[in-house]
Amino acid sequence: MEMLLMGVCLSMFGLAVCCLAFGAATREPEPITVAPPAMQKEAVKAAVAPTRFFVDPQPLPVAAYSRVPIEALLLQIENHVRLEHAAAECFLESPNPSLLHSRTISTLVN
Amino acid sequence: MVNADLLTGLPQEEAERVLALGKRLVLTSGAELFHLGDVADCIYLLVRGRLRLTLPMQVRSKEEDVFVEERSSGQTVGWSALIPPYRFTLTATASLETELLSLPREALKSYFAAHPETGYAVSLNLSSIIGNRLQLFQAMWLREIQRMVELRCA
Repeated sequence: MEMLLMGVCLSMFGLAVCCLAFGAATREPEPITVAPPAMQKEAVKAAVAPTRFFVDPQPLPVAAYSRVPIEALLLQIENHVRLEHAAAECFLESPNPSLLHSRTISTLVN
Repeated sequence: MVNADLLTGLPQEEAERVLALGKRLVLTSGAELFHLGDVADCIYLLVRGRLRLTLPMQVRSKEEDVFVEERSSGQTVGWSALIPPYRFTLTATASLETELLSLPREALKSYFAAHPETGYAVSLNLSSIIGNRLQLFQAMWLREIQRMVELRCA
């Protein structure tokens, strides 16, 4: 008798699980609401994975620059001036537009 | 010192005569040679060491001396002493112990009046030094303008 009751309980439990699984499999998908283009853009932006720190350093926001110690900022300016000086000297040795507008690695402008 | 940029092309004896008009001075590291706006009576030839040329700039609402250029041995500093209105347009500070030869404007003018060929050669050298500075800073200025334009159009 006890065995029979246990079998009935297990059968009922199995039936319940099957019903839930069947319901989940056959449920209609929720209607998709089309977002306006601006919102789509936002969604795309949010979905972009953040860049890895060693791959593509993000430019510091203005607030972060204001936290840079003034001595470090002055050194950045000095480094920038030296690089610009060197670029201008290169241009004067062989004046041409590409040398005049060559890219700089200065952290002050990149 | 006879091969200083200001004396290029002069015969050695003539260069030595010009150098004899000057007075040697030694600056300790960090000492200021002249300050922006000072009256410029002497032009200087760097014998050894280094001089930092700076200009004041507002950084976070505070005036800071910002690096403009560095001069080393054999180079001339302070040519404002030969160009009206005879006021220095930069501040010069020794980066390390630096030895200079100061040449007073009046002594040079008298000497050049008596030796016009020397005066002519030195004037050409001075033009070359000033012209080089002008061309360098013209190129640097244009690079900054280009960057501004790119930022505006981005």
